[in-house]
Parts: sequence; C-alpha cells; structure tokens
Amino acid sequence: MSYLNNPAIVMDNGTGLTKLGFAGNDSPSWIFPTAIATSQGSQSTSSSKKLDTSMNMSNTNYSSSTTATGATSTGTGTNKNSYYAKSTSATAFDNLSSNVLLSNNLAGKRGTEDLDFYIGNEALIASQGPSYSLSYPIKHGQIENWDHMERFWENSIFKYLRVEPEDHYFLLTEPPLNPPENREQVAEIFFESFNCAGLYIAVQAVLALAASWTSSKVIDRSLTGTVIDSGDGVTHVIPVAEGYVIGSAIKNIPIAGRDITLFIQSLLRERGEQDTSLKTAERIKQEYCYVCPDIVKEFNKFDRNPEKFAQFVVENKERTSKKIIDIGYERFLAPEIFFNPEIASSDFLTPLPTLVDQTIQACPIDVRKGLYNNIVLSGGSTMFKDFGRRLQRDLKSIVNNRIAQNERLTGTKSTGVDVSVISHRKQRNAVWFGGSLLAQTAEFRGYCHTKQDYEEYGPEIVRNFSLFNMV
Amino acid sequence: MPAYHSTFPYDPNTDRLIGNFVIMPIKTKFRGPSYPCNSDYDIIDECLDLFRPNSFFKNFEIKTPSDRLLIYGILFINQCLATIQPHMSYNDAVKALVNLSLNHFVLPGTPGFPLNSTYQVPIEDPQQMALLKSYLAQFRQELAMRLIERVYTDPKLGVEAEQDKTKNSPSKYWLSFTKRKFMNKSL
Ligand SMILES: Nc1ncnc2c1ncn2[C@@H]1O[C@H](COP(=O)(O)OP(=O)(O)O)[C@@H](O)[C@H]1O
Ligand SMILES: [Mg+2]
Repeated sequence: MSYLNNPAIVMDNGTGLTKLGFAGNDSPSWIFPTAIATSQGSQSTSSSKKLDTSMNMSNTNYSSSTTATGATSTGTGTNKNSYYAKSTSATAFDNLSSNVLLSNNLAGKRGTEDLDFYIGNEALIASQGPSYSLSYPIKHGQIENWDHMERFWENSIFKYLRVEPEDHYFLLTEPPLNPPENREQVAEIFFESFNCAGLYIAVQAVLALAASWTSSKVIDRSLTGTVIDSGDGVTHVIPVAEGYVIGSAIKNIPIAGRDITLFIQSLLRERGEQDTSLKTAERIKQEYCYVCPDIVKEFNKFDRNPEKFAQFVVENKERTSKKIIDIGYERFLAPEIFFNPEIASSDFLTPLPTLVDQTIQACPIDVRKGLYNNIVLSGGSTMFKDFGRRLQRDLKSIVNNRIAQNERLTGTKSTGVDVSVISHRKQRNAVWFGGSLLAQTAEFRGYCHTKQDYEEYGPEIVRNFSLFNMV
Repeated sequence: MPAYHSTFPYDPNTDRLIGNFVIMPIKTKFRGPSYPCNSDYDIIDECLDLFRPNSFFKNFEIKTPSDRLLIYGILFINQCLATIQPHMSYNDAVKALVNLSLNHFVLPGTPGFPLNSTYQVPIEDPQQMALLKSYLAQFRQELAMRLIERVYTDPKLGVEAEQDKTKNSPSKYWLSFTKRKFMNKSL
C-alpha cells in the first residue's frame, strides 16, 4: 500500500515536449521531446496487446522486484547527462554531442526483445545513426501511434522516473475533444501493462486554469476562463465554464512554436547570416524575441537605438571555430505572426485576438463575461515578453469597438466588458503544474479510478472522471 | 491587422490629381512640379517608414489617392535596394540611384506598369502625362537620396550618431528586403 504515501506521478505528453515529474513539485523533473527512436530491423510485439480488452491480469510484464519509490526519486531531474536534462526544444539537438547512449537498464525488468529503442533526447541522438528511425507518436495533441506511445511511457516510468507503477497514482493529460475510446486505450495500457495503482486523466485546458491560481491577478479560484495553449505545432483557444470545456466553441490556429522558428530561419537566410540552422533559429526565438506594440514604431526604434541589435555566437563541437550571427528585426517580427499572420503565411490570416473574440462569441451569452475576464496563457509559445499585454490590448479594442457600435445602434449604454489576460510564472509548463497542484491534494485519490475499479467495471470506467472542486 | 495605409488625407488645396494618381507636395531641392511642402513629415518619409513593415504583406486595399503614391514609393524603394550591391560604396550608390531615378521609367497607365488595373491616368492627354513624368522624376530622386541616407547608416551606431556615411557599407538589414515583394509586385 505504499501508493498511499508516494507522491502521484504527473505526466503531460505534448505534441512536442513531454513534461514528467512528481505531484507537489514546482516544476517537472524531466522535459524532453515526445520522440521515440526504434530499431529499423525489429518489429514490435506488443501492438496486438492493446486490442485485447480482457481484464486478465496474469501477464503483468512490467512488475519487478526493485523498489525505487517516488519519494526518494523526487528531484532527480538534475542529471548531468545532457539528454537527461530539461529540454526546451522538440526538434533541434540542444548541445547533444554524445554518441554514447546509456544502455537500457530495463533489461532486468523484462525480456530484452522489445527494448531496442530510445526516447526523448536519446532518441534524437540515436536517430542520427543509420539503425534507428525517429517518430513522434503524438500529432496535434492526440496519440496516433499507440505502440510507440506505450513504449515511450514504459521508458518514462522505468528509466526516467524509476518508479514502480503499482506504488503510484498517475495523473495524465489529454487534449480538448479527446475521443473516449482514447481514454480507454490509455487505461488499458496503464492498468494492464503497467499495473498502476490509480489513474486520473485531466483535460489540459482545465489544468492550465488551475495553474493560473498562482497569479496574484487571480482573485477567485474559478474554473471558468479561456485558455490559450500554444505549444510547438498548434495553438488552441479553449473556453471552459465551471470546469467543463465548451467543445463546440474551441478554435485552433495552425501557428505555433515551429512556425515561428521557421520564420526566423527565413529571415536569417534572406540576410545571408552564416548559420541559419533550425537550432540557431530556435535559440534566437527563445532568448531574444519579444512582442512589440507596433511594428512601424519598432523598426524606427532599431534605427535610433543600436543596442536593440544583438549577436549570437555559434561554436562548433570541437570549439575550434566560431560563427557570429547578427540578430535584428526578427526579435519582434517573429512573435508578430500571432497578431499579423499574413506576414508569414498566405493561407491563414486571422489574428489571434480576433480568434479569441470569435471563440468567446460562440459561447452561451451568460458565460461570456467570465470568459473575457479570465484569459489564461499556457505553453512554451506564450512565453514571449509582452505577449499577454498585446493580446489584452488588441482584444480590448475589438470588444470596445463592438460595444460602441451596439450603443450607436440601440441607443442604450453598455456596462462594458472587462478583458483580462493572465500571465503568470508557471505559464510555460502550466498544464503540468496544474496537474501537480491537483494531484497533491488530499482529495486527489478519491477522484482517481483504481486498479480495483478497473477490474470490476472494465475500461469504460475511465470515460468519466469527476471534476475537482478545489475551492 | 492589415498592411499600413498612408495617413495623408487628400487635400484639394495642395494636392493635384492626374486621373486617380495624386501629386502631393514633397520636401525637396530637386527641381520639378511639386509645390513647396509645409509640413515636417511628407509622403516620402512615410514611404520610408512603411516600406519595411509593408514588405511583409501581400494584400493591400487602396483607400485614398495617397495610398497609390505610397505603393509606388514602396515598390521603387525595393528597386533601389536591388540596385545597391552589398559592397557598393556610398558614392557609387548615389550614382547608380540617380541613374535609376531618371532613366526611362515606365509611367502609370502605360504598357508594362505592374498596377494598371488600379491606376487610371489620362494617357491621351500629353500635358498631364508630362506633368506626371516630371513629378515622378522629382519624387524618385528625392526618395532615392533619402533612402541612401538610411541604408548607409551603420546600424551598430544608429541614426543619431555622428558618422561618415560615405565610408560605410550598405546595411544588410535593408538590403535583405529585396527578397520580399509588397503586394507581390515589382516595378
Ligand atoms: N522561452 C520561450 N520563448 C518562446 N518559445 C519557447 C520558449 N520556451 C519554449 N518555447 C517553445 O515552446 C514550444 C514547446 O511548448 P510546449 O507547450 O511544451 O508544447 P507541447 O505541449 O505542444 O509539446 C517549442 O516550440 C519551444 O521552442
Ligand atoms: Mg501542451
């Protein structure tokens, strides 16, 4: 019954990055690409298992005698190996120069036939050689390759977290509008293959709302608000009323971190900079870019203040040669594509503030006020300085224009709408952090489905999870 | 937000129309038909300010006659930048752009001009067309010379620093804009 004392495991598997750690912590212990490198030769054997819906628990493949507990593993994220360290990039090789991969220490846990694969940064390295191929099992937030995902989780649990699943409850996250069948698949893998003690699957947007409670701007801990979640591949705008996602009103834009990186790369190329790799473009994005109030004025600021220009030094692996890359207007032009998509794309033209307004307008009228005054940011690509400020200003002007127009038409004075965008310190991994907050409460276990529940009622049980009432 | 528009309203006291093309006063010492300009900020300053942001836009809805002059100015700046080579000296750039400004350029409304569907000028009226031609020559020279001042400012020093521009190289930040085409058009 050690699961009663062990911290719950919180896993947020994003399209680009996986955030992994222990409930109650401030930040995930590991962040690495949601990528897996599989051996070109070997064919998987576990793929048939997921179709087997029997509740026969006799083949608990992953059980072992090791007793690494979460309590002792907490905070082991400070590993010296670069591919274990926290990553901010889903695609580039962040100083991963080692060609020596750690041997897979799962060998003692089960037969070796299935262990010829790597995940995360190790997968990026392995796939540089000829014998491994790289794939990303999650596309647009949803799991597409279940066999790869199961192996990804297996390695996450045994090689990174180093815990026994039967000794822990797990909190997993899912994208909005995830089909219930997908939840059942997850439950089957976690209860049947991993034998975990208990499971809760939370909607990412709801966790992001909970994470914003740390902001001093948030006065009531409400689960009503609009979540802007922008990761690597897509930006979601998700309205949530009292903990329930208003599915019919959700909107996406196909503009997120990767598009911003590619735009920076094209600007560097047009200028003929010496290094125009994606890795360099992504580092410039994360370290130098910000959102400006007005691009015309910002160009002029660069003319007047030379210190606005910056330089970035790229060294080769052997540190024998240096390239100096000049950084200019991409500092403010790159994140401008959220507000002016036309500057980088010809097929998607709606600015983010307009899309947020359309999302809220598509919701029932009685919740709109609550959605406008609690707009919560989440995800790596909302991290640009002044992103929230600009979004709030542009959205306010859209809303105020509409109000003024209505007042002219109807002749009645409006009470106004308060538009408020919340930025906070946990924004980057808001989904994970919200999960950590919820999963550390005394009530959490009561909201989970346990191994016993699963055996008694079957996989359908995970179609519903009760909402947390944390207030 | 769409591309940026000209902020100059049409002023019948100072602006003359040739068809739907407008002749606006500019601050200049080059000879030509422009009326003296009373304001500090003229349409040429505006072309220079809006060139960089607008170069990223493919769509532009013409709202005022001055928008047509703005488009013309932005497309001409792009042509100037394509003429300045990366290592060209200041003096050579001046020579090259004076040539470009004055030598046989295509008038709006005449064959070969890229925007004839939106520019209507009375090509059958030789007097009006001569006025248009001499105004554009004046406009192009003034714009080219003010552009050179900006392009030969060392970005690492900034516009406010004392510097001998004749010794500078052209800014690669400005030259990189030749790869972008406002409205997908070029002169
Ligand atoms: N400080 C930063 N500024 C801008 N972008 C960032 C920053 N940190 C991370 N990112 C970007 O955020 C993206 C990953 O965000 P994340 O929310 O983890 O995505 P997902 O959950 O979809 O995998 C990547 O494109 C990464 O480059
Ligand atoms: Mg995410």
